[in-house]
Amino acid sequence: MINLDQIFKMKWERIKYRIICSTIMVAFFVFLSSFSLRFMASTFPNASIISIYNSLNASSSDFYTPEFKLKADSAVIPMKRVGRLFLIEATVDGETGNLVFDTGANGLVLNSTYFRNHVRSGGTSSTGITGSVGHVEQISVGQIEFADLKYKNLKADVANLGHIENRRGAKIIGLIGFSMMRDLEIMIDPRNSVLKLFKIDKSGKRLKSGLSEFKPDYTQKIDGNTNILFLKGIIGGKTLNFCFDTGAETNAISSDSNKKIMSTLTITRRTALKGAGAAGSEVLFGRMNDFAIGNQPIQNMETIITNLDALSEAYGTHIDGMLGNSFLEHGIICVNFVKKQFGIRFTKGEEK
Amino acid sequence: MKTIACYTLLFLALLLNSPVARAQFDPDKVCRIEDGQVIFTLNLKWSEKEKKEVSKLFDLDSALIAQVYSGKSVIVIGDESWKVKKLPADLVELSKSIQSKPNKNIKINDIFLVLDKWMNFAGNEPESSVIYGVNNFEVSNAFIYSSNTARFYLPIRKTAQKVYISGTFNNWSTTQTPMKMMDNGWMVDLKLKPGKYAYKFIVDGRWTTDPSNKLRERGDAGDYNSVVYCCNHLFELKGHKDARKVVVTGNFYGWNPRGLAMNPTSDGWSLPIYLRDGTYAYKFLVDNEWMTDPGNPTVREDADGNLNSFLSIGQSFLFKLDGYTTAEKVVLTGSFNGWSENELVMDKTAKGWQFPYVVSAGNYEYKFIVDGEWMIDPANPFTSGSGDTQNSFIALKANHVFELNQYPEAKSVIVTGSFNGWNTQGYRMAKEGGKWILPIYFQPGKYTYKFIVDGTWILDPANKLYEQNEYDTNNSVLWVEPFN
Repeated sequence: MINLDQIFKMKWERIKYRIICSTIMVAFFVFLSSFSLRFMASTFPNASIISIYNSLNASSSDFYTPEFKLKADSAVIPMKRVGRLFLIEATVDGETGNLVFDTGANGLVLNSTYFRNHVRSGGTSSTGITGSVGHVEQISVGQIEFADLKYKNLKADVANLGHIENRRGAKIIGLIGFSMMRDLEIMIDPRNSVLKLFKIDKSGKRLKSGLSEFKPDYTQKIDGNTNILFLKGIIGGKTLNFCFDTGAETNAISSDSNKKIMSTLTITRRTALKGAGAAGSEVLFGRMNDFAIGNQPIQNMETIITNLDALSEAYGTHIDGMLGNSFLEHGIICVNFVKKQFGIRFTKGEEK
Repeated sequence: MKTIACYTLLFLALLLNSPVARAQFDPDKVCRIEDGQVIFTLNLKWSEKEKKEVSKLFDLDSALIAQVYSGKSVIVIGDESWKVKKLPADLVELSKSIQSKPNKNIKINDIFLVLDKWMNFAGNEPESSVIYGVNNFEVSNAFIYSSNTARFYLPIRKTAQKVYISGTFNNWSTTQTPMKMMDNGWMVDLKLKPGKYAYKFIVDGRWTTDPSNKLRERGDAGDYNSVVYCCNHLFELKGHKDARKVVVTGNFYGWNPRGLAMNPTSDGWSLPIYLRDGTYAYKFLVDNEWMTDPGNPTVREDADGNLNSFLSIGQSFLFKLDGYTTAEKVVLTGSFNGWSENELVMDKTAKGWQFPYVVSAGNYEYKFIVDGEWMIDPANPFTSGSGDTQNSFIALKANHVFELNQYPEAKSVIVTGSFNGWNTQGYRMAKEGGKWILPIYFQPGKYTYKFIVDGTWILDPANKLYEQNEYDTNNSVLWVEPFN
């Protein structure tokens, strides 16, 4: 026989069960909605880290002018995407593969797997932000071809880029930054995975004026004369110095930044990596909630938070952060080193 | 009425409850950085599950968290010292100075691996593990596949200068595969094996999906790629012209009764499909009535006594065991069937035992079970593992052979690499014609490997490609191109 007490208990159990179920559902919904933006941002497009490699040696001998094979005034280069990297198919001295379009790299860097036996032209040493890249040697390259462009007689650093291949499953013969495009107008359209290069005159104007000119929403003057582009961004009302890095799969911000800047970040992940017999290295991951470039606020950009001293040292200038793929996906970017102008047209929300 | 009242109560309970729950556990509010300190705000009222999640998200040692909850004010773990500060409302702050100096002992790859986990990529299934697929073109002649040749067609009226096709079949090359200009568009014929392929066109440098293909999937970049299946089977049902709906379903589709819709033809219904190599059970559903395939004589009964049609795709491989003629029962078992001990009972022949088995291309480990005794295949010199865990190894449709043309006197030569988790026990190579060999099946992509000759790790002396590994020695590098 079941007595009343038992019946009450059973009913209460059932109600409890329903309460628990609904609470779980609501909690799940709250969880989903609080995460949805980040989730969308990360599922849809791109992603991850810091620049792959940053070379120390900046010199004007690293500027090159290409031949246009078709005698054209512009080239449209379709880029491949692996992870959040942009790859350009290229042939370097007969070796065909992909160059990572990495504006965080000062000069041309080639993968030692394929170029270790090339003629050496001197030694340099380099650093990457995430630790030492190790000793780097410089080699001479006869010819590089990609899209309708051809370069002759270049110098390149050789480094082990095997880790990029292993992570991304694509043959990476090297990294290419702005050094090989400085006397062209460079238009990066990340959402359509296209890089456009235009011949320009001495004043920086496109040779063929018939093409519709790029109309930026915001421009910034390029300071200095390096192959690395530094941009001023604003976080928490403070102006910060960012390195523009297409090879960085996510943004980065220095963990030394002040309290006010740090308070605008949401930190969602942390890892304490343990090194062999040494103290761990911490990497934090989160979102920039209060970033603006010019008058344009950009919210919810993924970022890692880490020490950027090594990078600042490598570039010889203080860097507060890096604008990588999480920034790139917000617009079409036009860089003109002759006019010393960086321009961006924001595309967020626009149809492709 | 009672139910409505119950739900109203529940709703009120939730209204009261949820904001509290949210305030208590919001992982976004746990961690902050202030003046070089990394600070975690923990709530002493958190459940074990919540503690676990925080521990996972922020890589906080569970021992550390346990000590916080036990009320310690300073906690030392390893060479790190943590401070604990009590706050009102059951909150505690756990802090330490941020450890972010680049550390030479941390390998770049370790950081990348962690970050990759945090960032979601499209994560599309590798094409080789796709079991079936059906095309979805707007017009039937936009894509034609016959005799291993796929014809892609891009109807564009505008005058383009150059059009390429790029996809998984050419490693997404932007330059290798130009299309030909025709009267009304651009066309290309490609030799492709049956299977799934993702692709796009590149029209004067600009990526574009196939406008006549409705089948698309998201790529890593967040944009869409067109997807096509090169089909290797045609489901056909003659007659039933008056049926409203005919679908096919089977074990390849999880026996989902929704089925794959078949198309009406002049004399019945049909559906071209891609099926990965293997054996499949299937049935048709004609206006929701189940029926076996009248055009297929192979019908077998399943465990519940239902009759299903069966078809096999791909060539079968004949597993053989000579001798053991007095044995009662010999079973083939392996990684291809989850090491099932009773599924593949071998057939007795005059000389021994054999079993023809259709398996998709790949690398497999297997054993025979002779009257309950497990044994490796005595006729196969290729093995993996050692002792009790030693299995015979076979690569079906092998497309690469590892060769070592040295060390003829060695007792044991093993090839190991990224393809088998750098297992030091396999795969064991065999001496053939004075050199050591191992045939293997590889998906397109990059592989790193080494040989272990009598315990000594060496690079492949015949391969000039190698890269530095985390031990500051080198690994040989092998690229396998898409095979078509």
